[in-house]
Amino acid sequence: MPNLPIVGIGASAGGVEALEQFFKSLPPNNGLAIVVVTHLPPDRESMLSEILGRATRMPVIDARDGDQVEAEHVYVLPPSAILTIREARLQLRRTGPADRERAPIDIFFHSLAEDQAEHAIGIVLSGTGHDGTLGLKAIKEHGGLTIAQGSNVTRPRFAEMPSSAVAAGIVDLELPVDCIPERIIGYVRNWGAFDAEPRGDALTTIYALLRTRTGHDFSEYKDRTFQRRVQRRMQVVQTTKLEDYAALLQREPDEVNALFRDLLIGVTDFFRDAAAFQALEGQVPKLFEGNGADDEVRVWVVGCATGEEAYSIAILLREYLEESSTPPKVQIFATDIDETAMGVARAARYPASVVKQVSPERLRRFFVHEAGTYRVVKELREMCVFSSHSVIRDPPFSRLDLISCRNLLIYVKPSLQAQIIPLFHYSLRPGGYLFLGGSENVSRHSELFTSLDRKNRIFRRRNLVARPPLPLQRFLSNLPREATGSERGPGGLVQRSDTLRRVANTIVEHFAPTYVIVDETGQTLYFSSGTGKYLQPAAGPPNRDIAAMARPGLRTDLRTALHRAKETGQRVVRDRINVQINGGVQIVRIAVEPVIEGKEIAYGIVFTDRGPIRTEDEIADAEHSQGQDATVQQIEKELQETKGRLQSTIEELETANEEFRSSNEELLSVNEELQSTNEELETSKEELQSVNEELQTVNNELSAKIDELDRANHDLTNLFQSTRIPTIFLDRNLVIRSFTPPSTQLFNLIPGDRGRPLTDIVSRIDYPDLEKDMRRVFAAGEVAERSVRHANGNDYYLARILPYRVANDQIDGVLLTFVDVTNLVVAEEQQKVLAAELSHRVKNTLAVVSSIAERTLSDGEAKTDLIGRLHALGHTYGVLSAAGWTEAGLRELILAELSPLAIKDGGNVQVDGPPIMLKPQAALFLTLAIHELSTNAAKYGALSVADGRVDVTWSITGDSPPRLEINWQEQGGPKTDGLGAPGFGTELIERGIRFELQGEATLEAVNGSLSCKIMIPGSPQHLTFGSPGGRQRIEDAAS
Amino acid sequence: MTATLDGLRVLVVEDEYLVAVLIEEILESAGCIVTGPVARLPEALDAVDHNDFDAAVLDVNLAGERIDPVAQALSRRNVPFVFVTGYGEGVLPREFAKRPRLCKPFRMAELLGALSDIVKAAGDVRCADSVT
Repeated sequence: MPNLPIVGIGASAGGVEALEQFFKSLPPNNGLAIVVVTHLPPDRESMLSEILGRATRMPVIDARDGDQVEAEHVYVLPPSAILTIREARLQLRRTGPADRERAPIDIFFHSLAEDQAEHAIGIVLSGTGHDGTLGLKAIKEHGGLTIAQGSNVTRPRFAEMPSSAVAAGIVDLELPVDCIPERIIGYVRNWGAFDAEPRGDALTTIYALLRTRTGHDFSEYKDRTFQRRVQRRMQVVQTTKLEDYAALLQREPDEVNALFRDLLIGVTDFFRDAAAFQALEGQVPKLFEGNGADDEVRVWVVGCATGEEAYSIAILLREYLEESSTPPKVQIFATDIDETAMGVARAARYPASVVKQVSPERLRRFFVHEAGTYRVVKELREMCVFSSHSVIRDPPFSRLDLISCRNLLIYVKPSLQAQIIPLFHYSLRPGGYLFLGGSENVSRHSELFTSLDRKNRIFRRRNLVARPPLPLQRFLSNLPREATGSERGPGGLVQRSDTLRRVANTIVEHFAPTYVIVDETGQTLYFSSGTGKYLQPAAGPPNRDIAAMARPGLRTDLRTALHRAKETGQRVVRDRINVQINGGVQIVRIAVEPVIEGKEIAYGIVFTDRGPIRTEDEIADAEHSQGQDATVQQIEKELQETKGRLQSTIEELETANEEFRSSNEELLSVNEELQSTNEELETSKEELQSVNEELQTVNNELSAKIDELDRANHDLTNLFQSTRIPTIFLDRNLVIRSFTPPSTQLFNLIPGDRGRPLTDIVSRIDYPDLEKDMRRVFAAGEVAERSVRHANGNDYYLARILPYRVANDQIDGVLLTFVDVTNLVVAEEQQKVLAAELSHRVKNTLAVVSSIAERTLSDGEAKTDLIGRLHALGHTYGVLSAAGWTEAGLRELILAELSPLAIKDGGNVQVDGPPIMLKPQAALFLTLAIHELSTNAAKYGALSVADGRVDVTWSITGDSPPRLEINWQEQGGPKTDGLGAPGFGTELIERGIRFELQGEATLEAVNGSLSCKIMIPGSPQHLTFGSPGGRQRIEDAAS
Repeated sequence: MTATLDGLRVLVVEDEYLVAVLIEEILESAGCIVTGPVARLPEALDAVDHNDFDAAVLDVNLAGERIDPVAQALSRRNVPFVFVTGYGEGVLPREFAKRPRLCKPFRMAELLGALSDIVKAAGDVRCADSVT
């Protein structure tokens, strides 16, 4: 069954537009399954499915839990839910308001990447924020295709989401939205359509381009891995032939970078393979065994990428450290060739998905949670040093207790593995540990490592073993090595049997006898048969150096001959060498011949016997017989001695050389460490520089703020000086902070009093409660006002105490102001005096008028009437005056007139109604009216007989506008049909009420008794409802 | 010679009932034809607009409102008037500060005398006008 491409699309603000365009540009029969994830508000119905349904012929449905994803279908995430996918089946989880998820796109993309790997396609469209970036990274890591909405021609409405993904370097294609469908279809069509056997030349070109541009040699990477990554890139750029892709790489340097990045991609997690880490945890105590406070535990993490592995190990070590009472120092070197990834490692900040495997306690202890990411704590970070290092190219670290190299070896060819494992052996201390990834092992190097935990890939360094020396030449030259496609390394020539055959043939052509082939350093490469006569294995660890193997007598000559042959490039012959063998002496001739094969050079050493083996004596005789000449003998003896000394010297030199070599190896490693530290420091320096720049900016801002502050201060100072209102600022302890100059009028203040409590200062105002009021204002935050008098007795001030508020409405002190209200007070006094005087005068005037009337008029009805009316007026004036000329109560006025006429206990007079306050004009006029009615009742009406009664009631009518209605009802009096003849009283009531109060009054006889109805409009001009001082409008009181 | 007040059409503007009634009685007793008394400004202005008067008696303060608009309207029509006021000096409308004024309480003769004066003065003007 062909693989189903599943496309995940994430969008947020501005996404609807982009999605519509996407679907409109998508041709039918595209074979894609599409899942749309957007940021939806939780409680609202979403119309998205409908909107998208109109943009495409494919069915668009809201995703349901358990839906099997099918081709040519669109699934949309509904509100208040989270979507994941497993075995191409959608899983929907509802969310409540409490667990609103902020990154639904990341969650779905992660799930899609893990479920579908290279069949996943992720697209991020318009939106704000960063949702989708980490999800796309996961898709890319698992081999899928990643796309972001680009900004040429048409732009996304909100570019933040796609830009964030592009900035993270994990987007394969950045395109305008209408171009995306076409590219996806092209990409999917190319699945599986590749050359079965990649052509070697194209591959070689690609390796070369990578090496030239990035400096790294990928020819040692496993073919399959390399090819898979290359194929993926080819799919992305839509080429099917490797040669075309190689040509593209040559044209476009950016594509080389893209390929490089893809090659480096690895899936990263904390505590990846939890079981393996747990096993490692078990071994941690052994790392610390025998290490005290002065020692250092050293760890090397090879291929650390974004740092999760290094920090995971750091956590394990840290935990153990904290249990120990004398912990040693811990140093972790973490290396990789991917600088960008290491930048992430140095930043030490990870998204939630990556710390999934970290237990909650560890998460709490070792990470700081900051806005959706987890940052590694400082103590952990300081344990790790990250630096750029190629394990193929650069010298290794040394004296390590643990090397963790997980998922690097599987990517490289066995020949390179064969170089790296011994490297690790060198780097580890005796008994050090090697931690590899699953499916990696050291089975080919079982002489170097024992297996402690086969399942979890934990190995231990074997100590008593001959390690081949490090290829120092390679490290020292530090040049990128030629990748000829051939396999290199010590003994490399050995594996190319055709070359050797040719060399052997050459020698055979020239010589028949015994020979040995060595390289330029004297390492033996090839033995003919029969070399045992001349060579024997040296005591000690196996040593391939020819000089070490040479039998006594041969060594010096061999060495010097080889040396000379190297220098001159010519054949060198040494004759008459006495070789000690089996108690005898063999005279030997050696010839050293340089042989050049291509770029390689080797030396053939040929041994020729000169006669049979002789005994010592025979030799001595031979020598002796050769020349009895004493001089010759002497010279020969000296020569022997010299040879012997030379031999010793050479041996000492060899020893010294050995030591130098060891030191050199050591120095190289130390250098490597220093290099790492240096890089780390460089990074720190860069960080410091950028912090410095930030500080500069902040500094500039602060300078500007200070300038503003200065200006504001000057303004304030000037304001202070210019004001004429005494103002004093106090802090929370009522200590003077500052005051305006006029304050000295009220307090004995001098400038030096700043910093003293106000209560210490002599005040010139009469304000005993000042301190109490200030404390109250400070505590409660309310303004206090008080009228206070100056001690000079003449001036009055309105003292106001206000809370002094600072940021967040905090009260930090109080401020006092004093406004001179002397004039006001004086005016008030004057007014009071005047009002009192006026009252007095008016009342007096009426009294005087009454008195005049009394004296002037002769006794009679007219006089009585006059005096009575004057008294009624006078009484009302008195009531008004007592109320400050504002109002008088209706009930009181009526009672004032009727009470004198009532029988004891008021049996014949009833007065009832709601409390009404009359304004002066209405009060005075109604007084007169009531007076007339009362006197009439007393003279002729109900109150003129004992059984008569008067009921006065009033109410507020409910009409609009409401009116005051007063009812005067007499009963039981002498029968009448009116108020008697029209006179002052009738006219006053019937005409005056209308004239003066815009009201109405009727006087009639009801069943022979007088009834008077007075109606006055309830306007505030005339009256208010309620008791004295109670200001209720008449409308509100209407029943 | 004193003008006769008989048949004089007089507008009375006064908000205090008892005082208004008194003025009305005094004028009627002299033979005037009294329009009003009117207690409020709107009615007073209305009366001026729709009627012809020979003279007017104006209370300076009508329930808190000043009499100025009525005085101005009458002045425009060349109708003479006299103020009555309970206040002292300096409370009259400024442009009419020189007009005759009666202080409350006043006697009958005072009112009639003042009225007679203003009518005569107006008449002189009119005669003067008609001569030329």
